[in-house]
Amino acid sequence: MNTKIPDLRKEKKISQEELALAVGVTRQTITSIEVGKYTASLPLAYKISRYFGLKIEEVFDFSEYND
Amino acid sequence: MEVYRRKLKRRIWLLSVLVLFSSALGVYDVFFQTDISKDGIFCFQCGLNTAIGIIAAVQIIRCRGALSNDEKLKIQFNKENDERLIAIRAKAGMPMLMVTSITIIVVAIIAGYFNTVIFITLVSAALFQLIIGLLIKLLYMKKM
Repeated sequence: MNTKIPDLRKEKKISQEELALAVGVTRQTITSIEVGKYTASLPLAYKISRYFGLKIEEVFDFSEYND
Repeated sequence: MEVYRRKLKRRIWLLSVLVLFSSALGVYDVFFQTDISKDGIFCFQCGLNTAIGIIAAVQIIRCRGALSNDEKLKIQFNKENDERLIAIRAKAGMPMLMVTSITIIVVAIIAGYFNTVIFITLVSAALFQLIIGLLIKLLYMKKM
């Protein structure tokens, strides 16, 4: 699944480590989500979106589930 | 986080008991065991005992370090509750694999007093399944 997390992080000037600490996961999990290896659970997706002050669909790309 | 702090304190207490127990067993092995019983299985038991003691001591140091530093505490909490790592461990069958492996090793040590072949077979089986579990875990860590 594609995400806008890397862009949002750059905008906010925060590292993966800082985001991971804020949402309660490891840095490796943030890396996996960013590169699309791992799909975040709904609670984690919610926490990440809330951290950036956006809606889930504004951070995560759900277009592949539209069919 | 306060609940986790209490959990760590309880963990330190349990690990301290384990360190004391393995130290006492080590002293007994060195000073009170007769030379006749110092065969291969005895050496394995000594090695296992020492390993348990060292691992427990390292864990105590880790927990104490986390308790004294809030950021370290949060990082350790995140590591233990990270959903991706939990999913990987579950896929590798780790929780059950650890239980069966430890049970097999304990049974192997007891069986070792009666038959060396059974002892070697059980230890090999436990090690084999632990290695397989570890390989699957590494594979999923690459994939996820």
